[in-house]
Amino acid sequence: MDDADTNGALHSMLMDRSLSDPELLDASGTAPDYAILPDVSVLKIGGQSLIDRGRAAVYPIVEELAEIKRSHPILIGTGAGTRARHAYALAMELGLPTGVLTDVGAAVSGQNASMLGHLMARYGVPVVTGGAFNALALYIAECGAAIFAGMPPYDMWQHVPAEGVIPPYRTDAGCFLVAEVYGARQMIYVKDEDGLYTANPKTDMSATMIPEITVDELIDLDLPDLVLERPVLELMRNARHVKSVQVINGLRPGLISRALRGEHVGTIIRAT
Amino acid sequence: MTSKPTFATKDVASVFARQTLLDRDLVRQPDRPVVRLLPWLNVVTLGGRSIIDRGVETIRPVVDELRAAMPEHRMLILTGPGIRARHVLGVGLDLGLPTGVLASLMATEAEQNGHLIAALLAEEGVSYLAHGTVALQLAIHLSASRAAVSNGFPPYGIYEFPPAVGKIPPHRTDAGAFLLADAYGAARTIYVKDVDGVYTGDPATGNGEQPKLLPRVGAAELLAMDIETLPIDRIVLDLMATAKHVKEIQVVNGRKPGNITKALAGEHVGTIIHTTG
Repeated sequence: MDDADTNGALHSMLMDRSLSDPELLDASGTAPDYAILPDVSVLKIGGQSLIDRGRAAVYPIVEELAEIKRSHPILIGTGAGTRARHAYALAMELGLPTGVLTDVGAAVSGQNASMLGHLMARYGVPVVTGGAFNALALYIAECGAAIFAGMPPYDMWQHVPAEGVIPPYRTDAGCFLVAEVYGARQMIYVKDEDGLYTANPKTDMSATMIPEITVDELIDLDLPDLVLERPVLELMRNARHVKSVQVINGLRPGLISRALRGEHVGTIIRAT
Repeated sequence: MTSKPTFATKDVASVFARQTLLDRDLVRQPDRPVVRLLPWLNVVTLGGRSIIDRGVETIRPVVDELRAAMPEHRMLILTGPGIRARHVLGVGLDLGLPTGVLASLMATEAEQNGHLIAALLAEEGVSYLAHGTVALQLAIHLSASRAAVSNGFPPYGIYEFPPAVGKIPPHRTDAGAFLLADAYGAARTIYVKDVDGVYTGDPATGNGEQPKLLPRVGAAELLAMDIETLPIDRIVLDLMATAKHVKEIQVVNGRKPGNITKALAGEHVGTIIHTTG
């Protein structure tokens, strides 16, 4: 079938069939994948891991970002951190649903985006929210970077976890989805550990670092704790643009720049 | 808390402080019952293809029925997008646009259908509410006017998940309505479609055996039956598994007068899909 036939078949299926129809789903997968911002890399700056540490951690990162954006266009997402944890604990105690927790968690990643935005203002870097995403290309073209709050805007429509009420899709997922929708070059999670460990290295001395792993291998390991939100693994599996992510240590100077240049300096998680 | 929190970094003390929020045991520990925020809420979803695209002859009686129900029931009416969403989906796919962009484009059509339905009920004090208003001010709107209209699509937009197969956005009207109904702890979640409920096969094509109507079926059971065409998006059946409040939904035929009224009164007039075991 040439292109025109494929289009015609897809068009008529779209008009007639259920959007769950397996043939229609398959056909939709044959559509091309246009990368919207293929040169841009998405970085996520951790909330608890970095921003909550204050200037000792944040100032050097700001300087590194200001320098690297001159050669590598970046979109900087922010995590939430300790205030979100407090709000989650309080809301949970009050018996409030996941949707309400999502809303209060989003505000915290918004505060972190705002603070980082003030620190990066002198370098011309804006904070974008909501409708301003439509002007993202301009911001990136003008100054090489933009900052956004990492929490996805699911609000009262957030998925409900199997246990408890903590929102399952938080800032790791939000940043990943931003990278995927724009067809970004890479997705780098900047945290305070050298990468992914077999257990939480902050509480378990026997934990060892895993330099590289696939999503399937990671799911098989069934680690009790994880450096990345678990739903990101499933999103990675289905992603059409972003097939790997790297988790790096933002407390070590220079690693962000090296990761952006394509070096392997933390843990690389691959979709396959 | 038993031990004094250590402020190795600048923490706010809480049961989750210093946690990844990903340690299963720690997140599980303080599980508590979740409050129903709006226990009197009825979420009524009007299908885009099945109801609104059919035009005045179908819409007028459905809207009349909703209007008549207002004195007795407080309703959030959600609308699906229909044929225009299929068209924009086709154009977007052809252009190579990603799922997140397609989701935003389709959601616009669901919103437009919401504007139409809200306009028909404006005289009764019914307004169209944007997502943000539904999330934060639904209570006052439903106290002031007993019904409001919004977009069935969830506000996922560019944050829509890439689906397992293909590129069609997985969270559409049915999923959006379900997630919202559960978050608010709604009393009833009703899907108004153009068929009597869930059949064992497609009643429209009906090749081979005559499909049978399932009056009551478990969500997991229905998933396992792997029926090719369902009147409700399959993802809702998955979402039902973890829902805190909404343990059953009803799919009713809005083209039969009286069905919406009866379903709002708790009568069984279509297919009830449940997770009550």
